[in-house]
Amino acid sequence: MGNNPTRREFLKRAGTATAAIAAPYVITSTALGADDRAAPSERIVMGGIGIGNMGRGDQGAFLGRGDVQYVAVCDVNRGHREGAKNQVDGRYQNKDCAAYNDYRELLARDDIDAIHCATPDHWHAIIVVEACRSGKDVYCQKPETRTLREGKLMVDAARRYARVVSGGSQRVRADYNGVVNRCWDGELGEIKSINVNVGPLPTECNLPGEVVPDGFDWEMWLGPAPWQPYHPWRCSGSFNINGQSWRSFSDYSGGGMTDWGAHHFGGATFAVDVRELQPEEVTFHNENGKKWLSYRYPNGLLLTHNRPGKGNLDVEGTGEKRESKPQPQYKGQGGIYGDFIHCVKTREKPFRDIELAVNTAVVSHLGLIAYELERSLKWDAAKQEFAGDEEANRLVDRARREPWQL
Amino acid sequence: MNETLDQAFEALKTYDWGQETKLVEPIEAAIVASEGDAAQRREIEARLVAVLQGDAPYDAKQYACRRLRVIGTAASVPALAALLTDERLLHMGRFALERMPLAEAGDALRDALGKVNGKLKIGVISSLATRDEAASVAPLAALLTDPDAAVARSTTQALGTIGSPAAAQALTGGVSEGTKAAVAAALLVCAERALADGKRAEALLIYKGLAKDDQPKHVRLAAKRGMLACAGRKE
Repeated sequence: MGNNPTRREFLKRAGTATAAIAAPYVITSTALGADDRAAPSERIVMGGIGIGNMGRGDQGAFLGRGDVQYVAVCDVNRGHREGAKNQVDGRYQNKDCAAYNDYRELLARDDIDAIHCATPDHWHAIIVVEACRSGKDVYCQKPETRTLREGKLMVDAARRYARVVSGGSQRVRADYNGVVNRCWDGELGEIKSINVNVGPLPTECNLPGEVVPDGFDWEMWLGPAPWQPYHPWRCSGSFNINGQSWRSFSDYSGGGMTDWGAHHFGGATFAVDVRELQPEEVTFHNENGKKWLSYRYPNGLLLTHNRPGKGNLDVEGTGEKRESKPQPQYKGQGGIYGDFIHCVKTREKPFRDIELAVNTAVVSHLGLIAYELERSLKWDAAKQEFAGDEEANRLVDRARREPWQL
Repeated sequence: MNETLDQAFEALKTYDWGQETKLVEPIEAAIVASEGDAAQRREIEARLVAVLQGDAPYDAKQYACRRLRVIGTAASVPALAALLTDERLLHMGRFALERMPLAEAGDALRDALGKVNGKLKIGVISSLATRDEAASVAPLAALLTDPDAAVARSTTQALGTIGSPAAAQALTGGVSEGTKAAVAAALLVCAERALADGKRAEALLIYKGLAKDDQPKHVRLAAKRGMLACAGRKE
């Protein structure tokens, strides 16, 4: 148990301590809540699933908080797993952090209140839905979904179990302040259009097979994705989208459309205040080989992707000064991570509530399908399908490799 | 068919891991270009089916299934159905069939249920769940008490995904403790669907059953929220 009991362990210990104890009962400073740590009863017990490149960053953010008790890590890469465990043990100066290869074992723990998930994208939906079913709150890295169908399932699970589920993308609230402020301050009048430049599109992967490294559970890494042989570039967590990382390949990711799209589309839809909406139409343009998209929202707004002659987050408005609107902000302290923890405590919806995160991902996925079919699409957000478009509807989801199901 | 496309299909016959994807890219381009041209699409489909039925490498057959996912018609269902009893190719057969809006695709998957076991059966169950066809409820319900606990759990989840009144009725039969959590999760979905369809009484009955003390706290919470929703109230 160490000197840093969990909230439940502390309560149990306190409940059984009686006057029959011969020696004085010593209460540690951390039990009372030392300067940098909340009392155990106030700490959120957390675990992490997927502790690679981005997962390490998330872990560090949560582990560094005095109101979090980090108790478990999970990764299919033994090196990542042990490294993540060592980080936790080092923080708390004990050996108590559990380390799992299988996320289901972590989610089965009743003592864990919340998890953060930074696996490759093709795993996100299964883990988030299962976490909700297990009574956990979730911080899920962007892009939150790999297919259109996954989004609604994740939102439904979050609402059904009244879970706090936050998407990732710390950049939405931080990187685009110039544009965001101009829009929300009313400087530009009624916003008519905004452009996002992002890419590249994902490709299919046909890399040759290599020997699976010792300590790497390739079958589990693949999970619901189609079976393909191991190659280090297939599963590299590099942030580059250059054919040498899982972010490059369509079985695991939507390429730059979803990876950086989560940031840029997220920032754009925040700036023009359509985070709560999904586009109803995507028009595919091919001008002398230059392909780009325009999305039309129910309120008439036009969001363009890679529009010729437009820069990233170039925005057009009617120009007349309008009254400013108060901008949604993070709650609590500590950016998007603090926002999540605050909401876990108060049960409010976080800044990047899963429904808003999914709406951003929908923009990416609609675009991916439009580019794959090289034509325009009409999207029925209420029914979550392409109106009367059997071919496009085939691409709303993809069969998951057994035994994984959603 | 043009020479470039012919070369691509020739390359596909021996397509394997490590080869350049550009060898077969003309096939994808042809699919895009044939949008609206049923005859050309059928010709492309037939050539992809021929790859499935031949002795091409696994990679080539995986590629063919990916393309048939988009353009496959009833004509390709028999070849895809034949993959459903192949441990290596079952998933890719499902990859093409699962999203096909064709009765033949659903029939092929239901037919495969009795031919496979273990993990393969779970794969078929998963696809039937996603297809959400009324005809799947009875054959799935028969698997709720499958001696393979993983199959029983998968079936439970599948019936929840379908969420119909018939699925709910099947789920409320006697279940083993091992699937109790899965049943609760599935019934919550069924109740939601009933409520969305205006069947408050049915939804309330399910929610009341799940609000009892023998359920974990988060399930009881979900059930009580559901009961409030049935009463037209939010918490």
